[in-house]
Amino acid sequence: MNTEISFCALHDVQRTKRLSLSSLLEMGFTDSQARHICDSVFEIKKESSVKRVLSTLTVLFVLGLNPTSVQKMLDICPDLYIVKETLLQQRIDHLRKLGLVEGSLQRMVVHYPKILTVPVKSVKNVVQFLREKCLFTTQQVTDILRDTPAVVLEDLLQLEYKFQYVYFRMGVKQAEMVKFRLFRFTLDDVRCRHTFLERRGLYQTPDKKGQTTIINPKLGDILNVDQDTFVSSVARASAEEYDIFQKLLARECKEEELLQGRVEAY
Amino acid sequence: EKWAATQPKHPPTRLALQHFDSSYGAQLGPLWPSVRVALLSERKYGALLNSFSHDLVLEDLQVQGCRDFISHQDRLVFGAEEGSCEVSMTSLEFLSQQQYPPQLSPHLKCFVFPRGDVTRFKPARPDRYGLLGYYLMDAASILPCLALDVQKGHTVLDLCAAPGGKTLALLQTQLIRYLCINDSSMSRTSRLRKVLHSYVPKQFLTDENLRITSFDGTMWGEMERETFDRVLVDVPCTTDRHSLTEDDNNIFSKSRTGERRRLPQLQLELLLAGIAAARPGGEIVYSTCTLSQNQNLSVVEQAVHFAQEKHGIQLQVVSLKPLVQKFRNTFHFAPELHLGEMVIPHLAANFGPIYLCKLKRLP
Ligand SMILES: C[S@@+](CC[C@H](N)C(=O)[O-])C[C@H]1O[C@@H](n2cnc3c(N)ncnc32)[C@H](O)[C@@H]1O
Repeated sequence: MNTEISFCALHDVQRTKRLSLSSLLEMGFTDSQARHICDSVFEIKKESSVKRVLSTLTVLFVLGLNPTSVQKMLDICPDLYIVKETLLQQRIDHLRKLGLVEGSLQRMVVHYPKILTVPVKSVKNVVQFLREKCLFTTQQVTDILRDTPAVVLEDLLQLEYKFQYVYFRMGVKQAEMVKFRLFRFTLDDVRCRHTFLERRGLYQTPDKKGQTTIINPKLGDILNVDQDTFVSSVARASAEEYDIFQKLLARECKEEELLQGRVEAY
Repeated sequence: EKWAATQPKHPPTRLALQHFDSSYGAQLGPLWPSVRVALLSERKYGALLNSFSHDLVLEDLQVQGCRDFISHQDRLVFGAEEGSCEVSMTSLEFLSQQQYPPQLSPHLKCFVFPRGDVTRFKPARPDRYGLLGYYLMDAASILPCLALDVQKGHTVLDLCAAPGGKTLALLQTQLIRYLCINDSSMSRTSRLRKVLHSYVPKQFLTDENLRITSFDGTMWGEMERETFDRVLVDVPCTTDRHSLTEDDNNIFSKSRTGERRRLPQLQLELLLAGIAAARPGGEIVYSTCTLSQNQNLSVVEQAVHFAQEKHGIQLQVVSLKPLVQKFRNTFHFAPELHLGEMVIPHLAANFGPIYLCKLKRLP
């Protein structure tokens, strides 16, 4: 392996330190981590990125992340290499402003580095949507971001469907949605499990006073269990039944969408 | 607001569901949730093969992966079952044993996709004579026709025949000498006529072969007593599946409450008329597409009692166990029914509900 200096050094810029194995080692990366990073940058083959790497890395270190975490993030999300330092800093600051405290902020970006590639404006849109359309409190929005940062990349229309489905059809309030991490699940998953229970007579949409004639299982019991447990313990059905039901419901939903599309097209 | 869409507060489908929850919840106990989800999900069809069609429909259906459940026997499953009496019977014993599954006409074929397979049938296409290749219906609806055990040269009455699925199945056997087709509804009999003309060649639809009428079936006993070898009494009922899915023309709509309450009485009268129309020694099959005990077992019990008390007609209930045994890989049957048999819907075999009970007039 002799990629390092030859390529990295070629694009030395006065302002920045040159990206070299030694500079990476200095920052605290191990030998193999440093080589790995160099290789990755080499693969991107974009001059601008090479220039930025060190300053980007610096921002992450200033956030308090250790070399191992940083390398992990770059592996999951190589796009980080090409994010401008200033933008990166802005995004981190914005997340802090949204209430993500030290500790959770770091855990979140390590776990979901992609969030740092999302423009502040997009995050703002989602936050605004969650507050205004779904009436989550500020604290709840913070919790949602912390537990499910991927919401920032979801299609708002989809998000709205999911929220409305759970709110209206299942009669579940915001606090429960946050507590049981609703946004970790796709609408299809939620709908399939709920509809299965509903058709088996084990789930009822509460009336205006919030009442049902049976006791509904909690959102957590429906979502936060693996499929086998859900089918056998919550729905008290056979795996065969649920398997077929999934196929049938997928087809039903697709056909309903087609139908709706046709109606809306008029 | 997609999910908050305003619905009428008590649509008939909703009323039907509430009604079923209380009655079937009690009747079926722990089986009800599984039946319920099946009733509320897409049903499966069977393709009744039109043996009069000139196209190679059978081959076409086989290629698509479905099979004729009537002739098809899952040997593996049967063989695995200890004490299964399926194997060692000679055809003579077969015939002599009253209770044994009827000898089935080789012309009667109904194709279904395997258990768990949710593929749909394409609409049937006409052959060069305009006859359609198959008729799509609930595959379990074939069972009452099979139970009827039509033999060559029989005269048969189909008392409530429209829209004609079972009539068509009976005609497919090509065993019937004379078939009386009746349905009190004029519009439905004319639909039935159309169905017959799109499946059966003209030479089988002559006055010598059959008669189509629109009488009130409850009056039959007064018109034609002790006449038919076989009588099918496929009565109007709460049509559970339909009542749960279609608000239009729903028997649970408020305006039809009276009609719905009178159903068991109408069913009883129809069955009694069917019994009266059968010749001594003749056989009657009563069938519905509901799970309701009041419309099934209770009606049969009362009819047997009334026939004896009021008309001095002795009836024997004919066991359908052999039929159940033969087809239990295709359908889910309700366990422990003390009278008749019932196909209950299940997601993996989403046919039914069909209730059937067979009676024989003692000579
Ligand atoms: C369950 S459907 C029959 C389905 C038909 N056997 C088939 O397989 O396609 C019941 C039929 O009974 C008819 N019906 C209702 N009341 C009747 C009566 N009093 N006499 C004769 N038919 C009647 C209805 O018009 C309806 O077509």
